[in-house]
Amino acid sequence: MEGLARTQIHVVIPAYNEGPVISRVVGEVRRAGYAAVVVDDGSSDATAQAAGAAGATVITHPFNLGQGAALQTGIDYALAQQAEVIVTFDADGQHRVSDISRLTDALEQERADFALGSRFLGQAPNLPPLRRLLLRAATAFTRLTTGLELTDSHNGLRAITRRGAATIKLRQNRMAHASEWLAQIAVSRLRYVECPVTIEYTTYSLAKGQSLGDAVLILLDLFARRLYR
Amino acid sequence: MIAQVILSILLAGILVYAWSEYARSPAVAVLALLVAAAGLYFVWMPEHSTQLAELVGIGRGVDLILYVWVCLSLIVVLNLHLKLRTQMELITALARKIALADAQPPRAAGHPSKNQNDSKS
Repeated sequence: MEGLARTQIHVVIPAYNEGPVISRVVGEVRRAGYAAVVVDDGSSDATAQAAGAAGATVITHPFNLGQGAALQTGIDYALAQQAEVIVTFDADGQHRVSDISRLTDALEQERADFALGSRFLGQAPNLPPLRRLLLRAATAFTRLTTGLELTDSHNGLRAITRRGAATIKLRQNRMAHASEWLAQIAVSRLRYVECPVTIEYTTYSLAKGQSLGDAVLILLDLFARRLYR
Repeated sequence: MIAQVILSILLAGILVYAWSEYARSPAVAVLALLVAAAGLYFVWMPEHSTQLAELVGIGRGVDLILYVWVCLSLIVVLNLHLKLRTQMELITALARKIALADAQPPRAAGHPSKNQNDSKS
């Protein structure tokens, strides 16, 4: 991966009704020189137009399928475009574009196929205490079930190589995909590293984020999934 | 007596319906026929259901029927759930294919269009 051009790094941004913020996020990604792929997950607002105008490739789901499905669509597209590295990035502005190079550098230096962002190695200003507790619990659960040594299991900022991306097949359309990633990374037996990243909790991202009820649903869903296997 | 008549009418309806559905899905039709026929039999011969229940170690015939019914409905629910999930996966695959076929490349520099608003604020 020596001398990887930033145009070969595709930043996949799933977006559902992110009209107010998407052009800022896409603009930053484009200015940093990366290819931006926005998967508009059936938004009813002008997300697609705003993202396109800001310089992103826009893929539009005909109706809302969920974040997991949107990520998989973006990954499929990036792979078809011969991307060398695929980065998953949240549309609501809680991730920092400057953290992307940290992750891609880590892939290169550690010869890893997955570089996963961790807010607990890095910083998470304004993280509400209850949510911190919940994330800790989710991480402990994931460690127990996948055996991965991670500090933050529900972080949307990741960088993966082509080889890594080819092993990811997200089937959980809704939010439970976070744990599915980790399960599939564990199964792939490819190398993974965790990198400190900063998550900025703004009023906007907190309002868009998952509530406590969602978290309970995710847990139930995961338990059900383990029963099926 | 009233309950027996009402139940019989309902079960007979199911019998007829299952019979008419035979061509479409034989397995379901036969299953429904059997269940409805068994229901009809036990509605008029409740003491037989009690004998059967005692044979398998359950106190009353009603309890036996209740347990069997709970099991049957759980199987149906599970079956439906799996079917819905498979269907959702097919729909996702279809939607993804449509979305990818329709991907809009960026209106970027290098493709000089008449309305170049790409100066990125």
